[in-house]
Amino acid sequence: MVEAKSVEARSNRQYFTSYEETGELRSSAGESSRERSLVERLKAGDTDAFDAIFHQNVNQVYRRALRLLGNEADAEDVVQEVFLTVHKKAKTFRGAAEFSTWLYRLTVNAALGKLRRQKRSKEVLYDDYLPKFQKDGHHLVRPVVDWSDKVDDRSDQRELQRLLGQALEQLKPMDKAVVVLSDLEGYLDREIGKTLGLSVAAVKTRLHRSRLFLRGKLAVHLGYSPA
Amino acid sequence: MAKQTRSKRAGTCKQVTSLITDYLTGTLDPEITNELEHHLGVCPDCVAFLKTYKKTIQVTQSLLLSGNLPELERSKQKALHKSIGSHNERG
Repeated sequence: MVEAKSVEARSNRQYFTSYEETGELRSSAGESSRERSLVERLKAGDTDAFDAIFHQNVNQVYRRALRLLGNEADAEDVVQEVFLTVHKKAKTFRGAAEFSTWLYRLTVNAALGKLRRQKRSKEVLYDDYLPKFQKDGHHLVRPVVDWSDKVDDRSDQRELQRLLGQALEQLKPMDKAVVVLSDLEGYLDREIGKTLGLSVAAVKTRLHRSRLFLRGKLAVHLGYSPA
Repeated sequence: MAKQTRSKRAGTCKQVTSLITDYLTGTLDPEITNELEHHLGVCPDCVAFLKTYKKTIQVTQSLLLSGNLPELERSKQKALHKSIGSHNERG
C-alpha cells in the first residue's frame, strides 16, 4: 500500500472519501453548521460573512498556493485572485459542502495558471533522468543500485533538499501540481483529475513520470545512473 | 495461449516499472500483483528500483512538509482584504 503520508495528507484523503460518500463536510457538526450559515449569508451578499470566510480560509489558501508556487509574491496574488472570485461568484454554489471543494479548486487552478506563466526555461527534458530498458525488457544499466540508504546521510540533507526543490521546479507545471496534490496533500487521483481537468489515468501517468524524474535526479546527485 | 497485447503484464523489468505506482497503492489486479511479486523475487535490479522509487516518494514528502509554512502576514492579509473590497466596490 502507499507509504504513510502526513496527518494532514491523510485527513484530506479521508475528507474527500467522506465527501463523495455523503456529500457532507467531514467536520464536527458545530463547524459544519457554522460554515453553512456563513455560506448562506455570503450568497445573500452579507459582507460580514465574506470577511469571516476570508479570515477563516486565507491562510489555508495561501499555504496551498505557496506549496504549489514556491514563492510568497505569487502565493499572495493567488490569494487575491481566489477571494475576488469568491466574492463575485458566491451565488453560484449550492452549499457549504461544495464551498470547501470549490475554494480548493479555485486555489489550485489559480496557482496552476501562475505556474504556466513562469519562465519555461526552468523545465528540463525528463528523458535524461528516466530509467531505460533493453529490448528484452531488462534494465539497460545493470546492476541497478539501491542507493536508498545513502539518502539518509545527514551531512548531505540541506544539499539534498536544495536539489529536490530545484528538481520540483523543473517539472512541467501540471506535473508539479499533481505531485504536490498527491504526495503532500494526499488527494485522491480522481479528485486531482477533476480539479486539473485530467483523467485518472493521466494523473497516474504524470505522477509516475514525475517521480521517475525526481528519482533520476536523486540518483545522479548521489553519483549513480538514473537508468 | 493468445498473445495478451493489451492486458497488463508484470513479467519484465520494464513492465514492473510501469506498474509500480498501482502496486504501491494496492490497486493492481491480484493476478498481476502475483506476477509482479514473483518477478521481484527473482530480480534484484527491480528490488533495488522499487526501494529507490519508494525512497524518492518519501524524500519528496519530507521536503514538501519540511519547515512550517508561514501564515500570510497580518498586514498583508489586511491589504489584500482591503484591495478585494475596493475591487468589488468598483464593480
